[in-house]
Amino acid sequence: MTRRSVVVNAVAGIDRPGTGTTIPCVDPLGDPFLRTRIALPARPATFLRRERLVTRLDRALRTPLTMVNGSAGAGKTLLVADWAAGLGRPVAWLSTESADQGPGVFWAYVLHAVRAGGADLPAEVGCPVDARRVDHTLLARLAAELNTAEQSVVLVLDQYDRVSAPEIADQLEFVLRHAGRGLRLVLVTRNEPLLPLHRYRADGEMTEIRDAELAFTPEEAALLLDLHGLSLPLDATRALVDRTHGWAAGLRLCALAAQESPDPETYLKEFEAGRSTVADYLLAEVLKQRTPQTQDLLLRVSVLQRFCPELANALTERDDAESILVELHRENAFVEDLGHAWYRLHPLFGEILRAHLRVRSPGLEQELHRRAAGWLRGSGHLQETLAHGAAAGDWEFTAGALVDDLAIGQLFTSLCSDDLAELFSRMAPEASGAATHLVRAARDLCRCDLDRGLVHLRHAEEALDSAGGTGGDATARLSWALLEAMVARLSGSPDRAKNAAEAAERLRYEVPAHLLDKHPELTALLLTHLGSTLLWAGRFDAASGALSTVVGGARGASTALARQESLGHLAMIDYLHGWLGRAERKAMAALAESERFGLPRPSGSGVERLVLAGVAVDRNELTRARALLDEAADPGPVLRDPVSVAGRALVTSRLLLARGDPRAALAAVAADLGTEVVSPWAESQSAMVAAAAHLAEGRPQSAAEVLRRVPDGQPACAVEAARAQLAAGNHEAAITLLDRLRTDGRAGPAVTVRGLLLRAQAADGAADGAAVHRLVGQALTDARRERLRRPFLESGPWIRGVLGTPALQKLAAGWLTPARPRRGGPAGAEPPPEPLVVEALSGRETDVLRRLAQMMSTEEIAADLHVSVNTVKTHLKSVYRKLAVNRRNDAVRRARELHLL
Amino acid sequence: MRYEIRVKGHMSETLAKAFPELDHVVMSGHTVLFGPVVDEAHLYGLLARCQSLGLVVVEMRQLPQ
Repeated sequence: MTRRSVVVNAVAGIDRPGTGTTIPCVDPLGDPFLRTRIALPARPATFLRRERLVTRLDRALRTPLTMVNGSAGAGKTLLVADWAAGLGRPVAWLSTESADQGPGVFWAYVLHAVRAGGADLPAEVGCPVDARRVDHTLLARLAAELNTAEQSVVLVLDQYDRVSAPEIADQLEFVLRHAGRGLRLVLVTRNEPLLPLHRYRADGEMTEIRDAELAFTPEEAALLLDLHGLSLPLDATRALVDRTHGWAAGLRLCALAAQESPDPETYLKEFEAGRSTVADYLLAEVLKQRTPQTQDLLLRVSVLQRFCPELANALTERDDAESILVELHRENAFVEDLGHAWYRLHPLFGEILRAHLRVRSPGLEQELHRRAAGWLRGSGHLQETLAHGAAAGDWEFTAGALVDDLAIGQLFTSLCSDDLAELFSRMAPEASGAATHLVRAARDLCRCDLDRGLVHLRHAEEALDSAGGTGGDATARLSWALLEAMVARLSGSPDRAKNAAEAAERLRYEVPAHLLDKHPELTALLLTHLGSTLLWAGRFDAASGALSTVVGGARGASTALARQESLGHLAMIDYLHGWLGRAERKAMAALAESERFGLPRPSGSGVERLVLAGVAVDRNELTRARALLDEAADPGPVLRDPVSVAGRALVTSRLLLARGDPRAALAAVAADLGTEVVSPWAESQSAMVAAAAHLAEGRPQSAAEVLRRVPDGQPACAVEAARAQLAAGNHEAAITLLDRLRTDGRAGPAVTVRGLLLRAQAADGAADGAAVHRLVGQALTDARRERLRRPFLESGPWIRGVLGTPALQKLAAGWLTPARPRRGGPAGAEPPPEPLVVEALSGRETDVLRRLAQMMSTEEIAADLHVSVNTVKTHLKSVYRKLAVNRRNDAVRRARELHLL
Repeated sequence: MRYEIRVKGHMSETLAKAFPELDHVVMSGHTVLFGPVVDEAHLYGLLARCQSLGLVVVEMRQLPQ
């Protein structure tokens, strides 16, 4: 396969200002420095292009992996940058940084770099939102996209040695393998990466440039010195190369130091004879020759990752940074140009300069961090502001910067939430002020530590009140409202939640609009907490309103968690009303949301998995229900709110009932959660489980008694009460209860079908055969769509005979009873078969599924079946839909359960 | 545990300050850094520090207690 080669000026393509806004996956950290990280570093005027290395690098286009491996200051970055700029095609460039600790951050940047490098990745590839991890399916989608793209992508990862997470190497290897010819990876690194290099070497799939090749030959060194205006006899140059081992940084410093000397040749001779460590000595020499202003600037900016002239001025308290930096870059001394008037110190020199700073001005470092933080905050660079504020140990400032930016929601939901939590975990206990209390409260609530969170939240409120409503604290008050809503949710207090939401609504008009636009997660999280609290209180309409606003709102990585949670809660509302199909669809949508954005498992309260388990119980898919409950419990939800705790107890007890263990079911019913208000549905559902347990053990009176204590019986409760009455022989009382049920249109099939069956049972008792048939027929019709099997199994022995009649047999066959009824009548006594697939799988889909079960990747399946990757993906999608799953493993498991494999 | 790390060349006093936890002595074209090393993470951290300062490590060994 040949690939079209697009000739674009790589540098122009990447450096275009505003590129960031057109890329769908915008910077996940909201970090405006991003573009300096994906731009090719500029080559200084004194850069020496070495053709032997460029030619060697050209092989990178033919091998999947290229490694440029050399010590600090060996000239790796500029070599690759120069090669990439001369390539005549776009190159995806990323300078990795030690700050991006987790795979999530790493891949978010890689995706950004790949897009900026001209690759047309569709939005469906997704974007990680959790710093710690990246979803495997995201990597698979990325690899598949790269594989099928018309033009291969050259991805350069500069400073790859800063990547410390070992799983990133595995992930890179995976993407590289599966992207086939679509990806050419160039790693620029000081250390050998943890990829299986031996395999690439053995297969001839790797281009390597190492220290030995990077070292300057005497001839090259002569050319380099010549560029610096120094001409030495060849043997002197040779001696210099011996002394420095051809080390680029050493030669460069030699040239700079000698330039200033009246007799360069003698100077260099002396250096050759010396025994000092090369960089250390030369740097001190070169530094000594600069003006005091330049020395001062270099030492001060050594605390920064990158800087622009204004920022450097803020540190030196002078205004000469621009000219100094331009001059330093022109001379190729210490400073690298990142474009957009941003610079950084060469990493090697930065380290040494920092050592000099500490010796020359002890204690200044902290003050420099403080000044940097102040300048960065004024320029809207939040992440770096926080980092420097923390380094300065100024917590009031740092927390204030976070709160003022309205970014407190990021502690709960963003790629950098871990980094933020880590950063603020160092917060000194004596720091005070409203913002620090808010940050502390947020961290406690993150861990569901309600008591401590409340204390800090109250401190924050007091601090806000004592400061007086100056108007400038609107962001702090809005942040307070978010945390207050979360407290309300955790403590099950709808009034508190409503007050918080109303306060937030008023404050929205006092907060700058751009901040609200920048942080949609704040509003989304607040409404989710409100919706969850209202749901707990049984105010379903109001809850749906708040939750639907979140679902219909801004879609993106920052709101993914809130959307997932809201969908999960909406699913819960449907489930509680007996609408299984609707509940299942919403719960699936919640899971899809978390997968699309690679949310961590677990994220949020995990209510959507509980709903799916509940649906599975009603469908009598008990193994699946158990698996879903286990999944939801492992390793435990991040957020344990009353809705999820009660929901879990409810589904667990129903599962135990279905398995015929009423005592265990009773024990599993939720105890009092100590919430502010009692949840009507949690209470009535508990009563229903208790009643069912009593019935199962032959105590209809106790069952009726339990249900009578539930105030304002909900439809589902009324049905169970009718069951108890019927079991006690009170047919009329049962029918009266069921008649009342009709008036409520909100009850779904899980409720109404049970009602119909009870009526049928009553009619059966009255020997009204026609009515029994009509009612059971109606129940079967309503239940069939939802695959609602439990009510028929709960109905007792009378239904077996009814289902055996030919007309009803047809309605029940295929989903409730085996398609061909066995001798001895339909199911009922024994559990019916696991659900049949609603739609049969096509031959091709089965082929794909079978290979999936053999752990083959999408690419491998495509190759095996001689079809394209996209075709396989299409088949997979419909397999997932037909099996009602959304992951590979689930598809295989379910297919095995259904004996399709 | 105690370690000694021998790097090539004579280190300046300033650069030696980048290893505040270690003592150093300059001898015969080398600088020997030595002192207590907390654990393996610390050890690799020291090596990385050498690398990022452009130092050439010639030898590294654990010292008898």
